[in-house]
Amino acid sequence: MPALRELQLAFVAAMFDESNAVRAHVREEGVSADARLGVYQNNLREGFIKALALGFPVIERLGGTDYFRQLALEFLAAHPSRSGNLHHIGEPFAPFLAQKFAGTQYAYFADVAALEWAHQEALLAPDAEGDALTSAAFASIAPEDYERLTLSLHPACRFVQSRYPIVKIWRVNQPETLSDEVIDLDSGGDNVLVLRTPECVEFHCLPAARFTLFEALGRGENLGAALERAQAVESDFNFGAALRHLLELRILTALRVPDLST
Amino acid sequence: MTDATLAPPGETLRAGIGLRAIHHDEVIARSPAVGWLEAHSENYFGRGGAPRRVLATIRRSYPLSLHGVGLSMGSTDPLDATHLGEVVQLTRELEPMLVSEHLSWASVGGRFTNDLLPLPYTEEALQHMVSRVGQVQDALGRQMLIENVSSYLQFAHSQIDEWDFLAELARQSGCGLLLDVNNVYVSAMNHGFDALRFINGIPCGLVQEMHLAGHSIHTVGGREIRIDTHSAPVCDAVWSLYSAALERFGPVPTLIEWDSEIPALDVLAAEARKADCMLERHHARAA
Repeated sequence: MPALRELQLAFVAAMFDESNAVRAHVREEGVSADARLGVYQNNLREGFIKALALGFPVIERLGGTDYFRQLALEFLAAHPSRSGNLHHIGEPFAPFLAQKFAGTQYAYFADVAALEWAHQEALLAPDAEGDALTSAAFASIAPEDYERLTLSLHPACRFVQSRYPIVKIWRVNQPETLSDEVIDLDSGGDNVLVLRTPECVEFHCLPAARFTLFEALGRGENLGAALERAQAVESDFNFGAALRHLLELRILTALRVPDLST
Repeated sequence: MTDATLAPPGETLRAGIGLRAIHHDEVIARSPAVGWLEAHSENYFGRGGAPRRVLATIRRSYPLSLHGVGLSMGSTDPLDATHLGEVVQLTRELEPMLVSEHLSWASVGGRFTNDLLPLPYTEEALQHMVSRVGQVQDALGRQMLIENVSSYLQFAHSQIDEWDFLAELARQSGCGLLLDVNNVYVSAMNHGFDALRFINGIPCGLVQEMHLAGHSIHTVGGREIRIDTHSAPVCDAVWSLYSAALERFGPVPTLIEWDSEIPALDVLAAEARKADCMLERHHARAA
């Protein structure tokens, strides 16, 4: 009699076509062990394809249903689910597509997938601890502390940068969009801030330097370092306008001056 | 949230329906006349955003059950502490009337099938499940229910009947049972046992919830296999079996589940009304 763990390892190996050893432990009773295991393998594959399609409807539309199924099965073999929560399967999808389509005419799939993944993450991210800050929050900050100030952004904020017009691609490939517009892939890229309002997830295309500033702040860099990055992108970077935009977007949730004594 | 926000317990004697994302807005706008709702816990993980807010809103109007599909209870990998932590957090916030998972496993060696795979019914598997249910109940600080699954194969070395396994699991771990009547029927047809043997093999008093769903019939290897797709109305044979289960276990909270090709909310509510009629008959008889 196989130990439970041994049986489970053999079963999952069969699901991924690695071994048929588990067959010996399956009662046939009129239907072969392979056919019975096939029901479970089919469940695994169809469930995976369906969950991936739910998360990446634009990639499904761009590739077509049949090709998407093939892509999803290749992805399943390379990146099986590592979680009991199917929402997590999409995390390595954009890097998988980037590797698969590098240097081909489908290279933009990876960036569109990154945008769709950011959209999924933004939907389910935690809520912010409190309300968004206003300009009043800066009143208590001494000018000499600005350099080392850290700014917390809303936990749902995500940043996606692409040399392709990914937001336009996303929009014309929504189910409710009846567009046969042809998009020129070389018509310019997007620097996208993905954020969540109480109602929905929004995409905001930012100028490159402003994107660089927000993205660095989002990673926890202090204001001095983030500003330096933005100025490297655009020498006469308008910080005041960028800060006003940040406040208007209502994604600034906390300011912190690190304690120098620690 | 306190218990004062719960609908009266008697309400659960009306059947409930599975809450699915495509019906979120409509449930809030129309408050359909169903007794209670059951949510798949995993769909509300993540502490924020619209799904969690919607569930909290719905919880103010309906009794709720949290039904897990991803904890991989029977796996020989360690329980996923993050996953369990999310279930514990949801349970604290929403104070559901019932919390349930499955007599199944989904993963080993870190790879997940995200399916409800059958266990061999052996003493080793029983002791493993008793220990796992114990861990989850300790984390939740309350009793959980364990549901029987549909299966498409049996292991040659199984030594215990599924119903005896469930009864013994409940006795040793202190969990309750969620009897999925459709799953009993599907497994009985697939494996050639009498579904009533299953029902009559479960001691009275252990079943605290029942599930009803539709399944589909496929031809596999030249033979019919019934697959638990939750994609159709409850079939007549399952309604008959439900009647037998009510006879034995009394009127317990009953749920209509539908997970693929999900119909309009009214169709689900109509299925729930069919269950209501049967619940009422048995309730009147019991009174």
